[in-house]
Amino acid sequence: MNKKLWQFGTREVVFAAIGAALYGVLAWATNFLQIPASGNVAIRPAVAIPMFFGVVFGPIVGFIAGFLGNIIGDLLSGYGFWFWWDLGNGIQAMIPGLIWLSITDYKNVGSIIRAEIMVLVGIVVGMGLAALSEMWVSGTDFATTFTVNFLPVFITNAIWGLILVPILMVAYSAVQARSGR
Amino acid sequence: MLVTWAYHFRDSLMEKIDPRARWIFSLLFLFTISMYWDLRFLLFFFVIAWLWYFLARVSFKETRRAWILVSILLFSMIVVNTILSGGGAAGVVKGQGHPIFSLQFTIPLVSWNVNFNLTMERAWFALCQLIRVWAISAMFIVIPFSMDPRLYGVTFRRLGLSDRFAFSMDLAFRYVPTLARDFAVTLDAQKARGYEIERVEGGLITQVRRIAPLIIPITIGSILGGEDMVNAMDLRCFGLRPRTWIQETIFHGYDYAIIAFGIVLLLSTLFLHNVIHIGGFWVPAGILPG
Repeated sequence: MNKKLWQFGTREVVFAAIGAALYGVLAWATNFLQIPASGNVAIRPAVAIPMFFGVVFGPIVGFIAGFLGNIIGDLLSGYGFWFWWDLGNGIQAMIPGLIWLSITDYKNVGSIIRAEIMVLVGIVVGMGLAALSEMWVSGTDFATTFTVNFLPVFITNAIWGLILVPILMVAYSAVQARSGR
Repeated sequence: MLVTWAYHFRDSLMEKIDPRARWIFSLLFLFTISMYWDLRFLLFFFVIAWLWYFLARVSFKETRRAWILVSILLFSMIVVNTILSGGGAAGVVKGQGHPIFSLQFTIPLVSWNVNFNLTMERAWFALCQLIRVWAISAMFIVIPFSMDPRLYGVTFRRLGLSDRFAFSMDLAFRYVPTLARDFAVTLDAQKARGYEIERVEGGLITQVRRIAPLIIPITIGSILGGEDMVNAMDLRCFGLRPRTWIQETIFHGYDYAIIAFGIVLLLSTLFLHNVIHIGGFWVPAGILPG
């Protein structure tokens, strides 16, 4: 079957929903994990899930998993609705999906390195845009936005993404071999 | 593990408003208030936001976590941005300002000179920031507590998104309890094998090591289950025709009135901002020293 970069068929509809629900539930369930001595800053290991879904199922799936998953996670945790951060999470997971078509073997070292680079680019662009929106909404300057809004989320997301996405890719390769898709 | 939505039926006025009207008004409000740094106007929007909040009949106890999160972020931003660095204030506040507090000292060992000046203008700007962010937060925090999750899919469909996107949204919300159950089963299984997932001490790397045996099986298990669902939907020819939805959204007169009010707010703000040139940063002359 020919794949297209921006295709959104039945398979993408289902996996976008699963990715979003997984991200939402795991973000909520791992709220107990917090950066030591950082007050109330929760670290979301689940942030790697939409990135992984982007790499494996394409940019639209990644975007919906990140965007909608963040909404669900905040809904379950009672954090309210923060549109620009939801959008940032969507973009963060959409960008790794741009190499979707070029990856055929998820165990291949070259594929994993390309995915890692796209994960980092995705975090910079997605979280960067979300953090920049705070300049418009809250009236902060660039230095404050960078240190208060961007840097903490960039560091934690990069750690989770860089470690968990390759592990998930290797685990998925076994599933892919079984399903034949 | 039980997963529960923040929403439950409250018989509030907010629940009578069409969800589309709520989204449209909330976004119009956001764009409008973002054009003001004048406390007189910001207070007007602050009152509107809190009236909107109280329409939902949501208690502070329920929204406590969200307010704690907002307060921590707001406190960090105000302290770093307005009072310490003065960066944001420098973008909006013109001139040197009227000092109300100053402090000069040298940090030992590194010999950095700290020259801190708090001006009345910066302090006033911090107050404006506080009012503006609280108003925006009141408008958006209330959404998950007062909007039925079953309505998200159909609402975004009626707002013009595609059937597939809306269906994906609907499916995600329905998947949540199933995945929460899978999470609980996996967590119990890993605990039985001796994993101490809930120990919070240790750095990030330790926590990654601890969390991976939990995330990987749930994710891969969900993908396997998803393949079955794709097959089932394909066999039922999903996506060949436009969908019908069980929940319906209907605009009433008051929904149109709310949207019209939002549009009036935005248009009048554009007029005030671009033609009369008011609404920018303003400090009452009476509070300025000397």
